[in-house]
Amino acid sequence: MLLSVRDLQTHLHLKRGVLRAVDGVSLDVAEGETLGLVGESGSGKTLTGLSLLRLLPKGSGRIVGGSIKLDGQELTTLSEAALARDIRGRKIAMIMQDPMTSLNPVFSIGDQVGSPLRNHDIARGAALRSAVVDVLQRVRLPSPADRLGDYPHQFSGGQRQRIVAAMAIGCTPRLLVADEPTTALDVTIQVQIINLLRSIQADTGAGIILITHDLGVAASLCRRIAVMYAGQIIETGPVRAIYRSPSHPYTKALLAAIPRLGAKRARLTAIAGQPPSLIDPPTGCRFAARCTLRMDKCAEAPPNVTLSDGHSAACWKLV
Amino acid sequence: MAAMLELAGVTKHYRTRHGVVRAVENVSLRVEPRTTMALVGESGCGKTTIAKMILQLEQPTSGTIHFEGQDIATMDRAALRAYRRQVMAVFQDPYSSLNPRLRVGTIIAEPVLAHERKSRAELDKIVAEVLDVVGMPASAARLYPHEFSGGQRQRIAIARALALRPRLMVLDEPVSALDVSIRAQILNLLADIQAEFGLTYLIIAHDLALVEHFSSDVGVIYLGCLAEAGPTEQVFAAPRHPYTKALLAAVPLPDPDHVLSEAAATGEIASAMNPPAGCRFHPRCPYVMDVCRVTAPVLAGTPHATSCHLPVID
Repeated sequence: MLLSVRDLQTHLHLKRGVLRAVDGVSLDVAEGETLGLVGESGSGKTLTGLSLLRLLPKGSGRIVGGSIKLDGQELTTLSEAALARDIRGRKIAMIMQDPMTSLNPVFSIGDQVGSPLRNHDIARGAALRSAVVDVLQRVRLPSPADRLGDYPHQFSGGQRQRIVAAMAIGCTPRLLVADEPTTALDVTIQVQIINLLRSIQADTGAGIILITHDLGVAASLCRRIAVMYAGQIIETGPVRAIYRSPSHPYTKALLAAIPRLGAKRARLTAIAGQPPSLIDPPTGCRFAARCTLRMDKCAEAPPNVTLSDGHSAACWKLV
Repeated sequence: MAAMLELAGVTKHYRTRHGVVRAVENVSLRVEPRTTMALVGESGCGKTTIAKMILQLEQPTSGTIHFEGQDIATMDRAALRAYRRQVMAVFQDPYSSLNPRLRVGTIIAEPVLAHERKSRAELDKIVAEVLDVVGMPASAARLYPHEFSGGQRQRIAIARALALRPRLMVLDEPVSALDVSIRAQILNLLADIQAEFGLTYLIIAHDLALVEHFSSDVGVIYLGCLAEAGPTEQVFAAPRHPYTKALLAAVPLPDPDHVLSEAAATGEIASAMNPPAGCRFHPRCPYVMDVCRVTAPVLAGTPHATSCHLPVID
């Protein structure tokens, strides 16, 4: 297995108390596979991604338990220096949501795309320049050799996201963490970036974790899906199993709550209420307060039930 | 009969240091009472500028906007005051559209106070009533916006828009800042309110599935121009403009077997500062002909109208 995460616990130490942002997350990503980490804001999907790279908010964020193994190497106990040298940007790279803020406005794009290659001693001088042109060609930025000296504001949103992707794949990482890579883009540009991620994966064989709230984007790109709710993965399985036979009441409710093109309904099925606070989360099932199938038993933490090969969900109803 | 709202040849150009931005070009639309017209298009296409002109936050460079047969540009003070209390807006971001220093009750009462003299007791009653309509307890009036979640804040923004019992509501991306599970709550609430108070909606959105679900009529905008307009059902079932087709083909569906098409619109959206000659979509259009590079097409057809040189084949 390329990436194996077991019982990951990441806390944010805030003034108001300790927020259990990631609370016992386990997931696997195989080489060349795309895992969709799907959930709403505050569900812990982004902090799960940031935990892999240990890019947590300074001072407040801390991994307090669990294990992260990349190609069998334990990352949680690795020193910060070793992580920066061998892992971050080298073996695991990240594509952030907003290409407006993830590119530095005062450096040329040639400089920025070249920086991971420089920092990891992959190329220097003329070789660096040609490596940068090469990687910008791979993300299909038009005439890259002429544009190395241009600055981020001289590119459109879609082009900027291509540049961000180029920065991430320059060192041919083993794993790409893409956090809402298309959310800031318009649909006709979004489809171009979705196809770009597909072709990057076909070329490099990298594993991808796609973090998204958009069930459409996840369906179009992922082989497996993990649904997060309130800091935990509540259902995981092959993409068809999740969309065709969702089993956790939250997954079902989420799929019923979105309007679908070409399938007009009189009324959307809303999910009442809102997610619990993760400073003092309920001891049992965290979705119970909003669940229409709630039973007394839900006051206890639900077991993870295996439904079929690779498909499991944490719900008492399935026991 | 006069439409609730009618835009005729509305154009908005902004003069900037770098040149003229042609944000909206010759847009004509009719919104009938108790219907929901959706304006859909990608960022920068001019849909919010159109909303601003309807709300009189911007003046059109040319063209007219009529509300129930009256030109809003030539209304006298009294008519304008009456217009302003009948047209309300709900904005995208409930975090920035509510004043953090005011209590929810004050926020909701503000538009009422701007138009009417009311006693404290009368105001409290109005606030409690509209809070009830949007599914919030009357006690919410004493709290501040930060004490509420995004979905609840959007309910408060809707309550404020409702307080004067308007006839037309402009909804600018009303759910795009909200989480998926909360979106359905707000969309259902908006549908209920529309039925209860006989409201007319103009909704601005980029999410096509939402537009199909929520609207009765739709206008598809590309680079400031209306590419296609008509009853939502017809436009979505049989899109005619290549841009509408491209938009629909690019929407990722929550279905792992759905195949996305990038081929329907290649390249990038041009700048409104320097829009392409002829049809503004022609550089991205897979069906481009010589005429498209030279002559701007005219919106034609009723009720399903298209602005395209291609012959209509249904």
